[in-house]
Amino acid sequence: MITAGIDIGAKTVKVVLVEDGGILAKSLVLAGIDTAATTQQAFDEALAAADLSKEKVERLVATGTGRKDCALTDREITEVGAAAKGAIHILKSCRTVIDVGAEEGRTVRCDENGKVIDFAFNEKCAAGAGTFAEGMARALQVPLEELGPLSLTSRRAVQMNAQCAVFAESEVVTLIHAKTPRQDIARAVLDAIASRIVSMVRKVGFAQDVVLIGGVARNPGFVEAMKRSLEMDVYVPEDPEHVGALGAALAAAE
Amino acid sequence: MANQAVLDQETFETFHNWRVNRAEYAKQWKKRTGGKIIGYFCTYVPEELLYAAGILPVRILGSHEVQDVTEPHIFAMFCPFCRDCLAQGLKGRFDYLDGITIAQSCLHIRQSFTSWQKHIPVDYNYYLPMPNHVQSPRAAPFLTKELEVFKASLEKWLGRKIDDAAIDDAIEVYNRNRDLLWKVYELRKGDAPPLTGEEAMEMVLSSQMVDKQDHNAALETLLTRLSKRESTRSTGTRLMILGSENDDIEFIRMVELCDATFVTDDHCTGSRYFWNNVKLNGNRLENIAERYIKRVPCPSKDWPQRTRVAHVLELAKTYGIQGAIVMQQKFCDPHEIDTPALIKALNGVGLKTLFLEFDVTVPIGQFKVRVEAFLEMLQEDDLF
Repeated sequence: MITAGIDIGAKTVKVVLVEDGGILAKSLVLAGIDTAATTQQAFDEALAAADLSKEKVERLVATGTGRKDCALTDREITEVGAAAKGAIHILKSCRTVIDVGAEEGRTVRCDENGKVIDFAFNEKCAAGAGTFAEGMARALQVPLEELGPLSLTSRRAVQMNAQCAVFAESEVVTLIHAKTPRQDIARAVLDAIASRIVSMVRKVGFAQDVVLIGGVARNPGFVEAMKRSLEMDVYVPEDPEHVGALGAALAAAE
Repeated sequence: MANQAVLDQETFETFHNWRVNRAEYAKQWKKRTGGKIIGYFCTYVPEELLYAAGILPVRILGSHEVQDVTEPHIFAMFCPFCRDCLAQGLKGRFDYLDGITIAQSCLHIRQSFTSWQKHIPVDYNYYLPMPNHVQSPRAAPFLTKELEVFKASLEKWLGRKIDDAAIDDAIEVYNRNRDLLWKVYELRKGDAPPLTGEEAMEMVLSSQMVDKQDHNAALETLLTRLSKRESTRSTGTRLMILGSENDDIEFIRMVELCDATFVTDDHCTGSRYFWNNVKLNGNRLENIAERYIKRVPCPSKDWPQRTRVAHVLELAKTYGIQGAIVMQQKFCDPHEIDTPALIKALNGVGLKTLFLEFDVTVPIGQFKVRVEAFLEMLQEDDLF
């Protein structure tokens, strides 16, 4: 059976097509304002990549912030459930999923069947989400994709008390004025995001193995910051932003 | 079965209208009776004494509107509820009050009281030093003496005595109200509760705003109606909500539209308000003091033993809940101290919890994601 998972996030729409547990195709489109159109576009792109007609897709399940507005399907699963299903499918030993997207950070504890035991969200704090990294990259005049690699060249930890994204930016400006090397500021920014996320993770507790998903997991500097903060290794799947959509596609097959 | 959680207009219209039009009700009551109205800040205020003096006690609650008038008066990290309450006074929404009173509970709400005293002049104000250490054997005798002083103060203000018969009548009216509310709550124990959590909240909140005799009459009618009312909605997951002050109808409605029903609560705007009666046995003021000392406590008074934990577990058991939403007003220190113990106890009997911090307005979208994930987790538990 071919199924589709559609993850309508704050910034992007992700679609994963699955057949018997194997991924056929993926797509990712910026969500924009007209999410109905971009969701359709993401679905069409995934179909084209798999060389399939939409009739071949037997079931669709939506997840993500915009899942209620998805016209393509009437079934849905929460981001929490989808993250657990997707992550455990990729790594059987996964017991904790940390999902850091554009607007929100989440952590999910699950058992060996992918059943959710507990979860937490970061509370109204942009300093624990992807948009914060974007804003800080802008302040540092570094393209977002270079922020992580730049931070890895840092040899010095600089403290930044980022509770608020706007105040954190003024901290970055202060560091710039103090002639702090750019790579050290980049590391400080990513350490601050990791610190916010790990505070949340500690609230629900965590067990190995830890799988890190969501778009921010593509940032190698953030991944290293998470490892330092958790004092353990974390597993990052090949396409971390697609794990929620994968979980939804797997839920559709159930 | 339809998953509707809309308020049944016919059955709950009176309570809803009282809550929404509280100022209008109070003004009409004043016109009708010629009596005075006192606003109170905390449910530890012994309303029976005020009522016996011919005064209408009304609870001061917030409006859930963003405001910009309290910043000069209350520290930003005090709870949003105490700021919201003061804002109502500063905006003139309680202009019908003749006086205000508070019984000592937490410092945040006391600041609302003292700011009100200072900036919104009323004819009468009274701070009742309700003991915090209610578990002490000396608490009830202490409060009894304080009630004597409070009574004398009211008598001086009004220029007349509050006689024993009036106190007896007030106790009877208040006990009746508590009995009736409790009877309605009993109906929520059934497999298909005949009322939603939203409706229950409308009912209890309105009882804090209107004359208890009016409320009693409405409750009598309600009980007759509920006995014949067949639920037209799916109960879904049976939830309990507990924590600090909570009059956020919008949040309750949102949750109950996700195939869930609140079947009980532990709030000072809910069951904590009416759970215990005054037992008449000799000295009236002593009896009233006993009631307030021994009532289900607010966490600001529940130490060194945490007696509320056992009460909450008992509610959870008797109302057959499947999960609990533990909420608190942001920055509420007393509840922050209690919350870990409550969550641990509920988890210890196999009940999962979702913790949420409330502000003047709650982010319904963000909270809905959390609530849905919580309900999904509870439903998965049922499958395994």
